[in-house]
Amino acid sequence: MLKNRFPLSAWLHPLLAVLIGLIGGAIAISLIGGNVMDTYAQMWKGAFGNTYFLTNTLTRATPLILVGLGVSIAFRAGFFNMGSEGQMILGALSSAIVALYVPGPAMFKLVAAILGGILAGGSWSAFAGWLDAKFRMNLIITTLLLNYIAALFAGYLVAYPLKDKSGSAALAQTMMIEKGVWLPKLFQGMSIHAGFIIAIVLAVLLFLFIKYTAAGYEIRMLGYNPLFAAYGGVNRGKVMLTSMFVSGGFAGLAGVVEVLGMQYRYTDGMITNPGYAWSGIMATLLSGAHPLGTAIASILLAALQTGGMGVERNTSIPLEISSVIQSLLILFVTAKFSYTFWKRRKGGKDDAATS
Amino acid sequence: MQQLLDVALFNSMFRMVAPILLAALGGAICSRVGLFNVGLEGFVLVGSFSAIVGNYYTGNVFVAVLIAIAITMLFSLIFAFISIHLQANVIVVGISFNFLALGLTAFCLRAIFHVKGAFYDKNMIGLPKWDIPLIQDIPVLGGIVSGHSPLVYLAFLLVFVLHYFIFRTVLGFRLLAVGENPVASKSLGIKVNRMQYLAVLICGLLCGLAGAQLSLGQVTMFTEGMTAGRGFIALVATMLGQANPIGVMASSLLFGLMDAFSIRLQGFSLPTHFTQMLPYIVTLLAMLFFRRSNYLADAQKANGSSR
Repeated sequence: MLKNRFPLSAWLHPLLAVLIGLIGGAIAISLIGGNVMDTYAQMWKGAFGNTYFLTNTLTRATPLILVGLGVSIAFRAGFFNMGSEGQMILGALSSAIVALYVPGPAMFKLVAAILGGILAGGSWSAFAGWLDAKFRMNLIITTLLLNYIAALFAGYLVAYPLKDKSGSAALAQTMMIEKGVWLPKLFQGMSIHAGFIIAIVLAVLLFLFIKYTAAGYEIRMLGYNPLFAAYGGVNRGKVMLTSMFVSGGFAGLAGVVEVLGMQYRYTDGMITNPGYAWSGIMATLLSGAHPLGTAIASILLAALQTGGMGVERNTSIPLEISSVIQSLLILFVTAKFSYTFWKRRKGGKDDAATS
Repeated sequence: MQQLLDVALFNSMFRMVAPILLAALGGAICSRVGLFNVGLEGFVLVGSFSAIVGNYYTGNVFVAVLIAIAITMLFSLIFAFISIHLQANVIVVGISFNFLALGLTAFCLRAIFHVKGAFYDKNMIGLPKWDIPLIQDIPVLGGIVSGHSPLVYLAFLLVFVLHYFIFRTVLGFRLLAVGENPVASKSLGIKVNRMQYLAVLICGLLCGLAGAQLSLGQVTMFTEGMTAGRGFIALVATMLGQANPIGVMASSLLFGLMDAFSIRLQGFSLPTHFTQMLPYIVTLLAMLFFRRSNYLADAQKANGSSR
């Protein structure tokens, strides 16, 4: 569904969209009387200016990559999984619970926490897939609704039964996870953690999986042409359930790395407020559901966001400028305007107006 | 039960249902021409922000509503251009329009009013409350039906106007034809693109009204992301009502009731998380029981084949 017609446009398209996004941002900046070049310079500095900012950007990109990879699997199979947020929340919450309450050595707890998170996210997503496969309930709507239910349920758990009563009473959060279960940091004093390595490795593995394995081929076939896939013996329900499970599992893992690598506890709103899941979905859209492209797009979007904070620190421009640029970018990357549009223009003006 | 079901509950149901109903009607008309509009949330948000801007600068509520309509229609025009002319995937465009609206309104909030999060000005006057002469004196009914903002009444009036428009006028039939089979309607000389533009613009108008009711109807303020999922609920209402105005009204009323109910339940000792969950769970259950809206998918498929 997100296929490109020409090999060249696979690269040209996103780049053109980035350009349009930046131009749109420039218009917005100049409309409120800011200096465009200065703002963009601050944005660049805030995202890549020094090692500290760079690692910050990569840290922020980590959950985006994982969510994006998950969504791209579903997209490849032809499903819009809009439920990454809920899946990520449940993944984060379950890994925190496992890390806190399962007895055993630290290493065992770490593995169990990671698996628990993947399982929780995957099941929540597969549930939506099951509702679609079994009851023909629209997947877009069910995944959206399940987001709210997951967020409220997690909010309830950390506000009442699992609440950390030792700290400030105002914060709804679980207790701190013991240090042995933390994901190791890559550099001393920097925020970047082992989750980033996991994300990059998984991006490469997923790329190889989709490109070279039979199961990957089935998924792609179902996405491109469901009728042909059915004719070729692909079981839609089965592929749907598995791809939705894996998709949600990735989102769950994204929640896990946020808990085990960054916050070391589940705090209410830690996933929803920064909008990790939605940015991940956007990264997938930007890259046309290509796993390696998703990783690059995630870093780009994370850079826009951390750069936006730099802009807000050093200029009078509000940081929401990044979300304006982001959404313009996504809008234009999906528009098939590069070749087809100009061609149709040349072919006859009436065609475009009346078709 | 006595405490749960009283006049005030139904009164607040009507108030809460208006934005959802208006947006859902917009969604219904879009889906009738084969465009599944996920961007309702963003449309409503833009409407509610521009209503506040209009109110602040003109000081006149009705001019503010007109401004909200105009700006939302402009916003929907861009939506139409990208999804109809540039042939982008409608669902993706919808998702990104939600974000565009969220970012743009937050950005403009900072740029225009220099505040973050929410804008409130005590000099702004919201929509008036109309008491309907004879009905307000009827004991129970009067308390429920009377005393709402004009937009609430307009919303319910529009249900029947739209029903008449879609199923009784030539233009309405053409809209339906485009959604049923674009290729066939093109061969009959119906301008498919023009019909789709019309539908999206009507949707913009309705969402502008919905936004105005949201920001000017009760509290006269704007908060970042104040739609809080109402656009998505409207989308579900559209689907549950099978894009039929009367059906859409029925399903919107169901959500309005759940919404009012969940606020009421907070007075009891239940944790608010569960009461807030209620509308979403009821929606899921309702989808389970009324899921015969396959024509939506058919419309989308037919649309694809025309390209």
